[in-house]
Amino acid sequence: MNFLTEPLSQPFMVHALLAGIMVGGLCATLGVFVVQRGLSFIGDGLAHACFGGIALGLLIGTTLENSTLVALPFTVLVALGIAYVLRRGRLRGDVAVGVFFSFSFALGVLFLGLRPPDAPVVNVESVLFGSILAISEHDLWVIAGVTAVSLLILGATWSRLAYATFDAELATLSGVPVAALDYLLLALVAVVIVVAVKTVGVALVSSFVIIPAASARLLGQSLPGVALIALGLGSGGAAAGLLLSYHLDVASGATIILVMSAVFAVTVLARGKRAS
Amino acid sequence: MKAYSKPDRAALPVVLDASDVSVVIDGKVILHGITFFIPKGEFVCLTGPNGAGKSTFLKTVLGLVKPTSGRIDILGKPAHEARASVGYVPQRKGFDRDFPARAIDLLVATLRGAWPFRVTEIERERARKALVRVGGEKLIDKPIAGLSGGETQRVFLARALINDPVLLILDEPTAGVDTKGRAEFMDVLSEISRSDELAAILVTHNLAAIARTAERVVYLQDGHLAAWGLPHELMGRQSLEALHSNHGHALGEPSASADESPRFADDD
Repeated sequence: MNFLTEPLSQPFMVHALLAGIMVGGLCATLGVFVVQRGLSFIGDGLAHACFGGIALGLLIGTTLENSTLVALPFTVLVALGIAYVLRRGRLRGDVAVGVFFSFSFALGVLFLGLRPPDAPVVNVESVLFGSILAISEHDLWVIAGVTAVSLLILGATWSRLAYATFDAELATLSGVPVAALDYLLLALVAVVIVVAVKTVGVALVSSFVIIPAASARLLGQSLPGVALIALGLGSGGAAAGLLLSYHLDVASGATIILVMSAVFAVTVLARGKRAS
Repeated sequence: MKAYSKPDRAALPVVLDASDVSVVIDGKVILHGITFFIPKGEFVCLTGPNGAGKSTFLKTVLGLVKPTSGRIDILGKPAHEARASVGYVPQRKGFDRDFPARAIDLLVATLRGAWPFRVTEIERERARKALVRVGGEKLIDKPIAGLSGGETQRVFLARALINDPVLLILDEPTAGVDTKGRAEFMDVLSEISRSDELAAILVTHNLAAIARTAERVVYLQDGHLAAWGLPHELMGRQSLEALHSNHGHALGEPSASADESPRFADDD
């Protein structure tokens, strides 16, 4: 019982748990479409674009806290750029993401280097690896707002997004606005990535998008089933990892990802055993 | 030029009316002034060598490509406004074979224009009837990932038929299907070709498929309509053989077996 009550007696842990559950669930649900479309690399690409946006914010004089306000439009623009290149259809998804990934990260490094020598020192480690234990009440409200709006948009477009994910041409013939949905999905992933970077950082955020969705894909028989399992694994994995990290006194972001990876490994092994 | 027998425009309602259709893509003329029509219930085989413009013509009929000049009407409406009246079986299946779904999900998605969270009894019954029509009722709950090539074609044909289209479009539907699946699918197509209600365009290089299904044949060559007539008119000595020999391909007599039939070229 202490496993739960002791951490929950700490306000910072309550904030972290709520943030982890929301971000984990949201990333995983979006991840179902990302994984199914073969765009698993997109999480990494947009996280590095977010780094470029944060660096731009710092260059123009915002604090690290407020740099999200610059990172958000910057990352969404990069996401729309990737969607545009993907829709041109001449490059594979990994190539398009790879180009934008490198470009944004290089811009980020350049922006940081251009800051005046007397600019405040930035804790780059917190950008790269997140700081879920430092989530403030204000952060929590932002995360809750983004989660609510994203889930509403996802709920409203889910069945058309699913059809477009299955086969874009057939969906177009059935009247589904495939192009608009392609842009919407990547813009939504960008927004969620920017928010999630605060919790697990640039280096690990794509795991939130990919790992629970990949595990769910192995377990579910239908797309709605996969989405619900991903939601559970994303939220549950974040909560379990956070509690475990508290008791083991180790890095929380990394522990969350390791818990999600362990679930994935068990799922793969179980599927392999069943298949044999 | 040899005179071929055209359908009587006054005898039956015209389902597809292509009038002087030209398509230019990236400066290249793909279709040059294609003009022909398909009356209700007629099964047309659209054939010709690779690169003749067959797929572009189909995309124009589906409203996915806009004619640069001319027009295509389906029951009097421009093609892009008549998509709901057209059933389509694509050549290359662009769908993700790993997608977690059953055959019924795909059929219901076509009914709704959206992927189903849950399938109602009414939708299930409509999906079942469409699958019965193509001899695939046992496939209704089968995962898409587990369908063989022939089964996939049946499901896609049922999908194309589920909204009771006036025009069915099949783009080389047996390409990549094994011998058994191809023969079974041709049986189903042959049955459909006898319908008096449904007009159809089958794009094929397969002479046996033309022999078994075609009520009329349209031959495209370098984006031009080279011939439009009855199968026996085009499949005689001075017809398809002559048309096709211009392109240096061998052409034999049609055989009874779909899988061993002579072909103009590999399915593209």
